[in-house]
Amino acid sequence: PKITYNFLFKFLVIGSAGTGKSCLLHQFIENKFKQDSNHTIGVEFGSRVVNVGGKTVKLQIWDTAGQERFRSVTRSYYRGAAGALLVYDITSRETYNALTNWLTDARTLASPNIVIILCGNKKDLDADREVTFLEASRFAQENELMFLETSALTGENVEEAFLKCARTILNKIESGELDPERMGSGIQYGDASLRQLRQPRGSAAQTKQQCNC
Amino acid sequence: HTSLPTFTAFTRPSYPERHTVSSDRDSPPLETLRVKCPAQGHDGSKWGLNLGLLVRGQAEAGPPSQSAPGWKLFGKVPLREGGQKDSRTIQQEYEARTGKLSPTAVPDGCPHGRRKNLEFQPLSTTALILEDRPANLPAKSSEEAQRHRQEYDEMVAEAKKRELKDARRKVKQMKERFRQEDIIANTMVVWNTEILPNWESMRNTRRARDLWWQGLPPNVRGRVWSLAVGNELNITPELYEIFLSRAKERWKSFSETGSEAEMASLADRESSLDLIKLDIARTFPSLFIFQKGGPYHDLLHSVLGAYTCYRPDVGYVQGMSFIAAVLILNLEEADAFIAFANLLNKPCQMAFFRVDHELMLKYFAAFEAFFEENLPRLCEHFRGYSLTPDLYLIDWIFTLYSKSLPLDVACRVWDVFCRDGEEFLFRTGLGILRLYEDVLLQMDFIHIAQFLTRLPEDMASENLFSCISSTQMVSGNRKWTQVRRALEKERRDVSRMLV
Repeated sequence: PKITYNFLFKFLVIGSAGTGKSCLLHQFIENKFKQDSNHTIGVEFGSRVVNVGGKTVKLQIWDTAGQERFRSVTRSYYRGAAGALLVYDITSRETYNALTNWLTDARTLASPNIVIILCGNKKDLDADREVTFLEASRFAQENELMFLETSALTGENVEEAFLKCARTILNKIESGELDPERMGSGIQYGDASLRQLRQPRGSAAQTKQQCNC
Repeated sequence: HTSLPTFTAFTRPSYPERHTVSSDRDSPPLETLRVKCPAQGHDGSKWGLNLGLLVRGQAEAGPPSQSAPGWKLFGKVPLREGGQKDSRTIQQEYEARTGKLSPTAVPDGCPHGRRKNLEFQPLSTTALILEDRPANLPAKSSEEAQRHRQEYDEMVAEAKKRELKDARRKVKQMKERFRQEDIIANTMVVWNTEILPNWESMRNTRRARDLWWQGLPPNVRGRVWSLAVGNELNITPELYEIFLSRAKERWKSFSETGSEAEMASLADRESSLDLIKLDIARTFPSLFIFQKGGPYHDLLHSVLGAYTCYRPDVGYVQGMSFIAAVLILNLEEADAFIAFANLLNKPCQMAFFRVDHELMLKYFAAFEAFFEENLPRLCEHFRGYSLTPDLYLIDWIFTLYSKSLPLDVACRVWDVFCRDGEEFLFRTGLGILRLYEDVLLQMDFIHIAQFLTRLPEDMASENLFSCISSTQMVSGNRKWTQVRRALEKERRDVSRMLV
């Protein structure tokens, strides 16, 4: 079935190993918890078309490997990302402590206007919690991030996280704060008839991605 | 009298060496088939009816139960103990009446049109079709009854036809399976009696290489891998024990002093101990053997732990757990470690597991040169989307295809990889792209990326290998190693210029 969309956003899912990045993606796309999941080597992909504020947006999601050692590889995937889910595990302080590093990478390597939502995953494991909601929301505020606690297991707040991020990007486009036509914005128009894109280079690639799928 | 004629003829002892790794994903093991088949054919002439929609309701309900409502749904007719006929009896009656077959037990056939007695409690669709309606309902007209019978006969014929076709297909499958097993058994003998005892003189012969390409029999696989990979590092089982005990000490002190402050001060190497634990649970999770409590959990933990002590400069890197797991499935513990350490010591694997990004890019560039040469249309298609080889090659190379290919196919790739080295890894990559070229040409960026990081589970190794063999590792008259060296030289020149 062909679904036309108004925009295509490139999204990243980043954060330390074992925080549940791939499970969040799987929950968002398949609406269920991935029971026997592998660890991601390099990068995996997912996509879903969502409806946000009357616009159809196709999210092209890059789910990256979490191990520190892969940083040099995954860094090359940040370019041109419009949004990111920055994930830590509420039951592991270590993954929370690593957030600053991930954030620096995202802000310097992706588009400077990248919209980031902080996700405290594994909300269902409240008994093992090592990071309080308050502490993380303060961190989010200081770093101008949106924040949600999520559970890839139950699905709580998973869709919300992706949608919230998409909505913010859309608002920024509408307010003029974000210019989709700027190179590396991570945003593309989905419908060729909506607006003709100015393409300085790589135009073949860009027009191809406007297909309806 | 129809019966399934041939299934028992195929029963024969199974090979004792059947190996978990090589078992097909889609077809059930032979044993299951053997159990199922006689059961299916067991009730003789009725097997055609016993399947499918006609009597499913009854089959699910088990033996005809006294409380089955039957026509009671229509009220008024009282239930009588033991007054029920099962569909088989009804069908027999029917066949007797119409003079079809049924050599035995011709029941008192009542002439058509006569109303049956009230006690009659028909069951299931068969009864609905073949029996007259109870007295409290209007009788079928003779045309209607006639039509019902005809329709019924057609349904039965159809079901029988389907069943026959199914049976023939199964027989064919079994034959093919046995043929395969025969081949495996024969090649196993050749490996054990001819090649392995004379390894050095035989390994490069035409005969050995041909057999090798067709896939190693599972029970010699580990040995051949070990021999082919070699032991350049001269690791002995004793050395493995030393590194293992060192790893165990470290785990112990790690779990005792696992306080946060200390953990923060511990190096990356130590945190990789934690990651090993996390990743073991996420290695071939569907096999349920490496997970906590599974039979190979401790083994995998040991091999990976010992490696981080043996090569602290490399440590544990994600992807390793898959490689170690495949080795453990085919080799004894110490041999698995020796093969693991030597495999990872190969230049390509070192470049990747040290995550030497620049050098990795040289490998990707070399791959792309051969990609363009072999599959120019697809290569152009990928370039149009800026879909670079790293997006899929990283997963493939880090795990030596064991994560993305079905395990039996991956093992066959390993067979030749152990013999031919890194070149074969990239050749396999091109083989995969060739195999799915037509599908991939129809896809856009995200679908290609998704497809290649999650390859179809039903991939047949024969198809892949025929695509690999039609992939020539020549690019502009240069071979893989030449292209690789030229690219590396370029890199050295650039860095010299930068200095």
